[in-house]
Amino acid sequence: MRAAGQMSAATATRPRRIEAAPFRELIVRKGLPYALIAPALLVILGVLGYPLAMLVWLSTQHYGLRELFQHQGRFAGLSNYATILADPQFRYALEVTAIFTLVNVALSMIIATFIALLMERVSSFVRVLLGAGLVFVWATPVIPSIDLWQWMFDYEFGVVNWLLTRIGAGNYIHHNWFENPLQGFTVITVVVVWGAIPFLALMLHAGLTQVPRELVEAAQIDGARGWQVFQNVTFPTLKPLLLILLSLSTIWDFQVFNQVWVMLDQRPSQDYFVMSVFSFQESFRVSQYGLGSTAAVIMVAILAIASFFYVRQTVRSIEEFGR
Amino acid sequence: MNPRKLLFTAMGVAVALLVAACGSTSTASNPADQTGTLTVWLMNGSAPQSVVDGVNADFKAKYPNVTVNVEIQQWSDVTTKLDTAFAGTTPPDVMELGNTLVAKYAAAGALNDITSQKASFENSGTWLQSLTDSCTYQGKLYCVPYYAGSRAIIYRKDMFDAAGVSVPTSMDELLSAGQKLMSKYGSNPNFSALYFPGKYWYAAAPFVWDFGGDIATQSGGKWTGALNSSASQQGLTELKTIVSQLSRADKTGDELKQDQAFAQGHIAMIIANGWEVGVITDPKSGDPSLASKLGAFPIPSHVAGQTAPVFLGGSDLGIAANSKHQDLAREWVKLLGGTKFQSQMVTVGGVIPNTTSLVSLSSGLPAIFAAAAKTSRFTPNSPNWANVESANVLQNMLVSIFTGKSTIADATSAASDKITQILNG
Amino acid sequence: MRKRLVRTSYDAVGLLVLAVIMFPIYWMVTTALKPGREILSLTPYWVPAPITFDNFKTAMQVPFFWNDVVNSLIIVLTVVVISVVLAFLAAVAVARFGFRGRSAFVVMVIAVQMVPLNALVIPIYLLLDSVGQVDSLLGVIAYYMAVVLPFMIWTLRGFVQNIPVDLEEAAMVDGASRVGAFMRIVFPLVAPGLVATAIFGFIQAWNEYIIAYVLLSSSSKQTLTIWLASFTTQHGTDWGGLMAGATLTALPVVVFFLLVQRQVTGGLTAGAVKG
Repeated sequence: MRAAGQMSAATATRPRRIEAAPFRELIVRKGLPYALIAPALLVILGVLGYPLAMLVWLSTQHYGLRELFQHQGRFAGLSNYATILADPQFRYALEVTAIFTLVNVALSMIIATFIALLMERVSSFVRVLLGAGLVFVWATPVIPSIDLWQWMFDYEFGVVNWLLTRIGAGNYIHHNWFENPLQGFTVITVVVVWGAIPFLALMLHAGLTQVPRELVEAAQIDGARGWQVFQNVTFPTLKPLLLILLSLSTIWDFQVFNQVWVMLDQRPSQDYFVMSVFSFQESFRVSQYGLGSTAAVIMVAILAIASFFYVRQTVRSIEEFGR
Repeated sequence: MNPRKLLFTAMGVAVALLVAACGSTSTASNPADQTGTLTVWLMNGSAPQSVVDGVNADFKAKYPNVTVNVEIQQWSDVTTKLDTAFAGTTPPDVMELGNTLVAKYAAAGALNDITSQKASFENSGTWLQSLTDSCTYQGKLYCVPYYAGSRAIIYRKDMFDAAGVSVPTSMDELLSAGQKLMSKYGSNPNFSALYFPGKYWYAAAPFVWDFGGDIATQSGGKWTGALNSSASQQGLTELKTIVSQLSRADKTGDELKQDQAFAQGHIAMIIANGWEVGVITDPKSGDPSLASKLGAFPIPSHVAGQTAPVFLGGSDLGIAANSKHQDLAREWVKLLGGTKFQSQMVTVGGVIPNTTSLVSLSSGLPAIFAAAAKTSRFTPNSPNWANVESANVLQNMLVSIFTGKSTIADATSAASDKITQILNG
Repeated sequence: MRKRLVRTSYDAVGLLVLAVIMFPIYWMVTTALKPGREILSLTPYWVPAPITFDNFKTAMQVPFFWNDVVNSLIIVLTVVVISVVLAFLAAVAVARFGFRGRSAFVVMVIAVQMVPLNALVIPIYLLLDSVGQVDSLLGVIAYYMAVVLPFMIWTLRGFVQNIPVDLEEAAMVDGASRVGAFMRIVFPLVAPGLVATAIFGFIQAWNEYIIAYVLLSSSSKQTLTIWLASFTTQHGTDWGGLMAGATLTALPVVVFFLLVQRQVTGGLTAGAVKG
């Protein structure tokens, strides 16, 4: 198409307003977005609306098994919140989870970006292999995969222990990786990052297909090296997607549960109480659903506060882009 | 939501309501006239299929117009499943509950009080005491014992022969037997005479109980942690001596992989459940060549010739408090808990039956475990006991004792305080 | 010539990365093929000796296995197809149109993703119980869709946003209708994103356990994740069986990817953008 081909680099990324249209088209155009979001909105609110409201309500109730079976909560006001927020373990969980999330998100995003860029540059055969491999990792059910990692670091049977000893990095036979929380969290980080990479890498790989090839070539003709091309052409196109994936990563890594729980045979010591483990241990494990709901609400609040600027920025940029 | 989906959902609701209306029992006096659907939840792996089929066949003979749905449930996250089921409108009528879970659900009003019908269950007079204890809450009976499992020591007969060691009949003999084994095989850094992972409190409890100690005692409705009593501490001291000399297992690990470790061939003894023999010798999970080399003996008491009390694991059968088919549910449970099918649970299922009168049906290695079950104890039967377990109080105590981080006095004192606090709510 | 050398070295790096990432998978598959003694052993068995297919055989002979496969497929395909369509429409609305409530919608989509789902188990159960959708595939499908839609809308928005409006407008100048321009221009350009999002939805629904377990009780209604949980009993875990099961569970997704991967890779972009 001639018009598309004449598009210059400057206008490629800036949107333009559509001209005013006749009245009938106006109704359709005004009504169209609502029609587009309506089905999704109905499903989300229809299924999750009542449960979310109940979640908030439960956080103000004393709601153990007896209350659950009788469908009758005992009003607790804000005492659940007081219980959790005043718990010294809560403070510890928050600190540990914050650091843990930061490290995991950074590592996942960097490695995933590297892999996505790599996938662009390999031959198509290797690309398909890598894609299939990533999907295999992604599709493997979580619990068995964590079991595998646990075996690899096992006190007695660990392959990693055996390998490290063999190559002379020290004696790791009968080494318990989880005695020291720092070491233990390192192992858990490896597992989390390993599980997170496929989704991120494949998404970024898809995102990279949207980088206009001609801009890359134009920049290269102008003499730009690899890193500069990335900085000036690739990154700006990828930025919205990167931010979205960053936000998703943060939410997910903040909520990490299985990797800690299963690696430690469902009996983590207090050193390993990340937020989700702490909240589970204090509440759901002992069927205290009121307290558990409170913990969930608090976690959402923390995430909301942490992502406040990101959300505000996103909303603003959406409105800027708007028509 | 698009219209079609709305219609579909409405239809689904209508169908569900219709089915619910048609499903209620008619309380006819003639059993053959009774109708309805009985829903039974059994746990994966508990009853052999032939037993379930047999119970259903006998039940059908008496109640030809009642449909029985036996649904197998998984162990992962089973408490969440039970919580939701009891909270909803369609709980099962009969369900199998792990014996440590009963108190929690009984206290919450989920189970039917069957104290007055106890006599109508076959063998109720000779039910295994600790299973009955697990079913009893505040003096009332809330379930029927189903089957049990107990622990004893599995050992390598060939290693014992090679080291010139015979089956110990007291704890002192156990220690000296282990020492002989260690001197013969101990140069292998992986070898353990008695493989004892630090967190294995089910295996530690017999030592506490044997010396007269306990986890907690109850008087006048109030619980008090008892691990810091001198008797309990004595038992733990004996255990620590044994573990530090005879075990190379992870002092901070648990017993989940001990069968795989045993199958590797470098362990002489483990404290284990009866079914672990199967795991060790199964070609899919262990080493079949060990089958002929395995023997078992009960954990010996510190008093020569006696055996230490063991923790009795197992399951009970409960009837939901808001089941609409109380009578039918009881009849079904009577069958599975009765002599005919309990015998089959022993011979086919290889488990310990709910009554001492049938224990002698066991043969071979299972018989040793069944005999050990005669001297058995249960955990404090408080609805808050589950909280003690989930707080890892006992595991943490043992780990700090075995790793030397705390003295026995300090560790037991801290644990007792914690237990007192949690059990009293 | 130099280009070929560069590409080959990239390939080498790629294969190395693949080997590292796939190591646990290799361990999983070999475990499924090993006899019991070699699964957890003091010296690692890099290759099963002898290879045994018993684990796979018994895994597939578990009662109701094929039933579970069918149920999982029904649930997943319904969820993926409907969710991708709904999410795409919503993403287009957010990325392309200005409308009152757009910010609120966006904030809701983000906020819903922050809720830890295990906290919703009881409320979801009670809700579905009240409309008779316990022990029903429909209830599970509805839940999975509601949970997966926010993520899908959020990521697809990023892809749609990157397509310049000019492309659609240019096509309309050339005489195509709005919808036609959309389908011919925008749709192929977001195809890689759609495929990646579809795989995401597939995996979420395929591997979810707790809600499926809590909602589905009849043996005829259960899914593959419940089948996978059956390898753990009160007697411990059948490790060989579990790894065979995990392998069998992951394979269909890999097959699905291989079938659609052609849509993920470039090729589509070069043509349209260059004109």
